[in-house]
Amino acid sequence: MDNLLDLLQQGFMQRAMIAGGLMGILGALLGSFVILRQLTFFSHTVGHAAIVGIAMGVLLGVNPDWLIAPCILLLGLGLQYFTEKSDLNSEIILSTMLSGSIAVGIILIGFISGYRGSLFNFLFGDILAVNEWDIYKCLVLLLICALFLLLTLKEQVLLTLNQQMATVQGIPVRFYRYIFTILLSLVVAVAIKAIGILLVNAFLVIPPASAKLLTRKFTSFLTLGTLLGCFSAIFGMLFSGLFNTSSGPTIVLVQVSIFLGALLLSKVWKFPLAEEKLFKGQRAKLDPKHSGPQ
Amino acid sequence: MSALVQVEDLTVWQGTQIALSHVSLTLEEGSSTALVGPNGAGKSTLVQAMLGLIPVESGSVRLFGCSLEQLGERRHAIGYVPQNLPFERTFPITVAEFVALGIPKRSWWKQDKSAVERALIRVNAMHLANKPLGNLSGGETKRVLLAYCLVHPRKLLILDEAPAGLDPQAEESFYQLLEELRMQERWTILQISHDLDMVSRSCDHVVCINQRVVCEGTPEEALSNESLLLAYGPNRTRYHHQH
Repeated sequence: MDNLLDLLQQGFMQRAMIAGGLMGILGALLGSFVILRQLTFFSHTVGHAAIVGIAMGVLLGVNPDWLIAPCILLLGLGLQYFTEKSDLNSEIILSTMLSGSIAVGIILIGFISGYRGSLFNFLFGDILAVNEWDIYKCLVLLLICALFLLLTLKEQVLLTLNQQMATVQGIPVRFYRYIFTILLSLVVAVAIKAIGILLVNAFLVIPPASAKLLTRKFTSFLTLGTLLGCFSAIFGMLFSGLFNTSSGPTIVLVQVSIFLGALLLSKVWKFPLAEEKLFKGQRAKLDPKHSGPQ
Repeated sequence: MSALVQVEDLTVWQGTQIALSHVSLTLEEGSSTALVGPNGAGKSTLVQAMLGLIPVESGSVRLFGCSLEQLGERRHAIGYVPQNLPFERTFPITVAEFVALGIPKRSWWKQDKSAVERALIRVNAMHLANKPLGNLSGGETKRVLLAYCLVHPRKLLILDEAPAGLDPQAEESFYQLLEELRMQERWTILQISHDLDMVSRSCDHVVCINQRVVCEGTPEEALSNESLLLAYGPNRTRYHHQH
């Protein structure tokens, strides 16, 4: 415990906790719409464009941090455009672009001479390495996202729920979708340094998914998801300090534990998902041929 | 009465097939019009084109005397009840929250609770206020969709096969409610329907389409055997029901 108190007095730990908390809020805020719009694979895919940015940065002798965001943004906007224009299932496009961006990244890495070990830090991230500049970036992005989502909350909810009804109400659906894609890409880009390419999606998906299991009201869902995102990051950092484990993965483990707890609670309490499960269970009893979800 | 909706010479292509060919239609203020025709006749396509949900090849749509691009705030005077409300059933939103989405230009945080309550009471759905939207039955969902339209003053209500999927009793109760609200709110209604008996009873104007306007007029005129033969072809059978 003394070690933890000593650790909490260290500047790098304080920065990491602030950054973790901010990213937790940011991830859950956007992630709430990511899970409702079924964009989880989208955010996973754009995250992998970071490999291209990192490799290009090293090859060009530029700080990779400066190239990660443009690469992710470009892929995000491209994916949005192709998904809109193509008749193909969006998962096919996402899967193709995911493979493509990984392939380009690995080919570029192949051109790098010398030690490449540091490149792999980006796969897993290092929240303890965040500096003040990273915290400012995170804070500004959080303010922009919060303002955008809260000022257009009604429109965002309606277009998430039913695009046709939103269009009839005069909501600029396409414009809002592009703005959301830009913000989501920037959030992924900012979070990658701290959490890494492989775990960044956890910040977006797990806290809102836990909140979704526990509430039936949208305002509570958004608030609870944001709180869970923030607290899981802070508690994850504390646990990582206490047990001397890797910070990013520990935060994700805390998020996963909360999710499993929420899943159990939703079965005990009569929350929406529990009711749905009960309904499916009853249907399976009535019709033995019906085994899987329809 | 003045024309609230004017569709002129509208042509819509879907891929390589023509969905609507030179369709013209006028809805007078306060009228209740039914759009009938066989499956694939272009009824939903016409409604979607009128609302600007799909692109049109040629022709024009004017609502409240304005083109769709010039509608601006007048869009809020349109209520749209889709055939079904496809959304993820576990979407965390209560009925009251959903109905509040129908109030334009107001912060969702400061939602007008009394307006939402009034709308829910009028459709006999106040007891559903705190229920998750995804847990409603088909009939309850339709009533909540009407509350969504009622929560803000509308002039034009467009229903795309609104009672689809309801049992006869729920369908009858839905139409009774719709008629009451139409009288109270002075709505102009355009509804797609396959129920020709209901159309005969509750609509004052019928437009029969099959990619083009086949016939239109009062229910007696438009639903005559000759007109139905033109719209549905010789293999149609009309079942009458009393509910």
